[in-house]
Amino acid sequence: MSDSVVFSRRDFLKLVGVGVAGAAAGCAKPPADKLYPYLVAPDDILPGVPYFYASTCRECPVGCGVVVRAREGRAIKIEGNTQHPIGQGGLCARGQSSLQGLYDPDRVKSPMVRTGTTWKSVTWDEAVATVGEKLGAARGRTLLLTGLESGSLRALEGAIAAAAGARHVMWEAFGYEAVRAANLKTFGVAGMPRYAFESARCVVSFGADFLETFGQPVSQARGFAAMRAKHEDGAGHFISVEPRLGLTGANADEWVAVRPGTELSLALGMAHVILAENLGPALAERGALVSAVAAFTPEAVAAQTDVPAETIQRIARLFAASKGHGLAVAGGIATQGANATALVAAVNLLNYAAGNVGNTVLFDRPLALDGLASFAEFAALTQEMADGAFDLAFVHGANPAYATPAWAGFADAFGKVGYKVSLSGTLDETAALCDMILPSSHALESWGDAQTAKGVWSLQQPGMRALPMFESRATGDTLIAVATAAGLTGSWGATAFDDLKARWAAVHSRFGNGRSFEQFWLDSVQAGGVWEPAANTAVRWTGTPSFTAPAPVEGEFALLVTPSNNFYDGRGANKPWLQELPDMTSKAVWGSWAEIHPEVAAKLGVKNGEAVVIETSAGKLEVPAYLYKGIRKDAVALSLGQGHSAYGRYAQSRGVNALALVPKGTDEASGALAYQGAAAKLSRGTKAMALYLQQAEKNQHGREIAQVIPVAALLAGSAHGNGHAAAGEGHGHSLGRLTEKGGILSEEVQQKPGKYTEPLARPEGYQPPAHSISAFEPKEKVRHPRSNPVTEGSYGKNAKHRWAMAIDLTACNGCSACVVACYAENNIPVVGPELIHKGREMAWIRIDRFEDKLSGGANDVRFIPSMCQHCSDAPCEMVCPVYATYHNPEGLNAQVYNRCVGTRYCSNNCPYKARAFNWFDYSAPEKTTFAFPEPLNWQLNPDVTVRSKGVMEKCTMCVQRILEGKGNARDEKRDLRDGEIQTACAQTCPTQAITFGDLADPASAVHAKSYGERKYWVLEELHTRPGVTYLQKIQRETTNEGHA
Amino acid sequence: MNKTIASVLVIATLAVASVALSQSFGVQLGANKGPTQPIKFSHKIHAGKLQMDCRFCHYGAYKSQWANIPAMSTCMGCHKIAVADRPEIIKLTGFWDRGEQIPWVKVHELPDHVKFNHKRHVQSGYACQECHGPVQEMDVVYQYSSLKMGWCVSCHRQNLNDQKRPATMDCLVCHH
Repeated sequence: MSDSVVFSRRDFLKLVGVGVAGAAAGCAKPPADKLYPYLVAPDDILPGVPYFYASTCRECPVGCGVVVRAREGRAIKIEGNTQHPIGQGGLCARGQSSLQGLYDPDRVKSPMVRTGTTWKSVTWDEAVATVGEKLGAARGRTLLLTGLESGSLRALEGAIAAAAGARHVMWEAFGYEAVRAANLKTFGVAGMPRYAFESARCVVSFGADFLETFGQPVSQARGFAAMRAKHEDGAGHFISVEPRLGLTGANADEWVAVRPGTELSLALGMAHVILAENLGPALAERGALVSAVAAFTPEAVAAQTDVPAETIQRIARLFAASKGHGLAVAGGIATQGANATALVAAVNLLNYAAGNVGNTVLFDRPLALDGLASFAEFAALTQEMADGAFDLAFVHGANPAYATPAWAGFADAFGKVGYKVSLSGTLDETAALCDMILPSSHALESWGDAQTAKGVWSLQQPGMRALPMFESRATGDTLIAVATAAGLTGSWGATAFDDLKARWAAVHSRFGNGRSFEQFWLDSVQAGGVWEPAANTAVRWTGTPSFTAPAPVEGEFALLVTPSNNFYDGRGANKPWLQELPDMTSKAVWGSWAEIHPEVAAKLGVKNGEAVVIETSAGKLEVPAYLYKGIRKDAVALSLGQGHSAYGRYAQSRGVNALALVPKGTDEASGALAYQGAAAKLSRGTKAMALYLQQAEKNQHGREIAQVIPVAALLAGSAHGNGHAAAGEGHGHSLGRLTEKGGILSEEVQQKPGKYTEPLARPEGYQPPAHSISAFEPKEKVRHPRSNPVTEGSYGKNAKHRWAMAIDLTACNGCSACVVACYAENNIPVVGPELIHKGREMAWIRIDRFEDKLSGGANDVRFIPSMCQHCSDAPCEMVCPVYATYHNPEGLNAQVYNRCVGTRYCSNNCPYKARAFNWFDYSAPEKTTFAFPEPLNWQLNPDVTVRSKGVMEKCTMCVQRILEGKGNARDEKRDLRDGEIQTACAQTCPTQAITFGDLADPASAVHAKSYGERKYWVLEELHTRPGVTYLQKIQRETTNEGHA
Repeated sequence: MNKTIASVLVIATLAVASVALSQSFGVQLGANKGPTQPIKFSHKIHAGKLQMDCRFCHYGAYKSQWANIPAMSTCMGCHKIAVADRPEIIKLTGFWDRGEQIPWVKVHELPDHVKFNHKRHVQSGYACQECHGPVQEMDVVYQYSSLKMGWCVSCHRQNLNDQKRPATMDCLVCHH
């Protein structure tokens, strides 16, 4: 074995030749790309320019107005329509992710017919002929089962059903039967009310998840934020009465941890106090109300609910103190137990007794749910199916095979239908049971309309042509084609679009205002619909319901089945963004978990993430435990939406379906499925389980990352004129960091070392880098440096702006819409649970949840959106060896991907954990980590680089939008307008908690907020001088009676 | 270590080195020699002899970030009649009649991490020729400028203090 290898000169030259030739042959440049021109240039599309199409979100029955941003004929982003009355410009996480429904790689590719256990592709002509023949033969024995339809499609379906002698049944898993039934009983209106949070001064929620799925969450969130901003005269209280603190309840000032199923008693107890102490207005119906609540004295209620009588009295007095502008909310799946209707009726009574009805409980523009079958009606229909009443069934927009419990027997009964046709675009559980699939186009690629609220006619305009890889058709077109093939005739158009337009003639005659139909149509399409001013229908108390005290749950634990903020009733589970989006209670991703109290877990011997078995009379499930102090010790909670057996690669076999535990039972008064309150047994599981938490530590450890300001301190500060410096002066006097007692630290004290950190010492002779606004600059700049653009150095001579953000923690409720909006805008890859567990999630913005106090009584859970803080003196910039991250003249902390060599020093030095590293190739189709399987990659924003492996990335404050906005202003030869440029997160925020703008513009909204009251910087003691300013959350004391 | 392994190592090292060398010294695609296009379209005739404005066809250049290659309908606007009997026009008509897009070979190629904005430069008054060279004299269009970052930056640096059309040296303008 010799270490020396001797080449002769001749051999060496040969090798050199081979080496170079090999390089030249093997590594030659790939053939050049081709450029394909349009055959005929479309009149209205210029490549490279974004176009916007007003439309309507169809992810849930609310139907928020949206604007679809399209580039080169592809929908790449969806945003709230600021002109539309529903949503008012906000859009929730589910709405943001509708793009992934459009580009779902598991969409059905063509019509398919079942042969045994497999599917066979057929042509549309064959499929329509087959189904048409069946429809012709099945006269009178046809069922059309759909989700809630409200617009022209409903009329079309009705017309076709009438012609075919078919029955049209609309059913939604979240149908809120109890709310409708209770309102009919108490107010004589069989519908939802609109909860006018913006007019309220005090809100008491009886478990209603009104910021998540119940009612009109986006509009409600906006009103709720307005309510919470009121802090003078003791306004703005929010008290949550529920056995398990959900995301909505986590925003409350006080958590009244009521015994499961007894919320009803507490509402009546409050009403009792208000009536007995004459705190409400004089009412003609007083006698009836008093007798209805007679048995519910505070003492009796205390015994039932496990809530002290004093608390009931105190809450009741606080509630009544808002003099007709309190708002009690009940309803939604989170409170839908066996006495759901009684609960809503009790809360109606409470609202009525306090004089709120007509002020905060309005019937002006409520969610329209009329015509929706209740669960009981659905169960009756199931029985008819089982009895063989139908030869043919069409299913569209409903997935009962997943969203009803097994005991409802849908799958078996559906099997008895002669021939089953699914009009679903995806192969969901119900479609999997069908004999034929006629895939429907996605809402973002088809025409439609919706009347989801009284007085609002929304239009659904396609944001793009139907995707070419899927041979799908609009639902209406399919139905018309089938009806035609069956030889049916009736009053419908030749195509769904014709039909839609024809049905809009009626809307035209009402709103046309002398315009021709074509003009009216164009105007309406452009605006996203037409609407009339909201007009309230006044209601009186009509009912004389009697209430019985709820029976306590029999078992050791009460099962609470919670609707999912991410997946709604489960329909969102096939969207990777929503799977990757942490649940805002547990911060778990990609799975299911059971929430149990730590003391219960200790008794069971279960640690966080270990298996726990939940058993009810309906079944048994084994899931990882999440130890949660926000749940009573006699309850266990499990979230809906996961555990799909079909529905695509992202949904399938992930977690469990909580419905498996829901035993047979309905709320008899309304026929609603009783989700809540089953008796459950818990035991230690044996299986190895994985609970993937995006944020495991929910304690701030005194770091004051998410700060609060007691309302008293805020009012005191205002009284002294602090924080009200004129915006133009840029001299906002800081309220400063608060002491633990709520006092205010002086400026001098603030300059001292932080509790855990030392301020940076200025080295001898240090010169600040030219590109950075730094803590070492002259004093007059250090005072308020952030409003100045960098003008030093050759780079910054022309800088006019200082981009910045202000985030109001009083408004942020943790809904996480911003997170999904950021994924959509910035081409952020989804990495899956294992990598998230290692802390490798790629999100540029996250919402941290901090549980400062989480037990019954005064509640202190804080949400803080956290992204790159764009520090003026950024720790990351100092350590980058290749200058890949630097400070741009306009105050942005920039990251240049092509310069980055992946040392990750910047991430190590970032105190905010704002940076995400591409550990794997998420953008390479040949890799298993590929995050954008065709056609998900169609959604990628062409203005944002798709990052490759080994590159660091982070929030850019949507620099592509800044450049676009500046470009538009220059095109029009004008200055930028404040608010013209909006980051994706700020745009979608239902509560407008995020304000983006130019800090160098003294008249900008962001300037006013950044130098106004409540401002603080996260980890201020590090002197990073962030460009993101937070506004402290207003904290109210509720346990102190004198305060209210 | 035997001779075979050593040989492989030498070959590999040289291969890597020569690739690195060729990459860094800019073997630019199409530099000084245009690729063979499916149709021998001549900018010399259109932009030179006929003195057509560049923006007549590349109409996106002043209102979009992309200049855009013209739609075939733009070609056919004239060539349904104009010199319809020439062999290259017959080829064009063939594509048009078949409803087939012309597979033009890309001459100017930028990687995904560079975002060049045509309208900003054109609106600032830069003539197309300043980057694309004397296109009006090119029978076959070739890549005139290197399109390397240094080339971009040298111009941006020169115009940093230009009163009318100030350039920026901020990386984010192109890299985002």
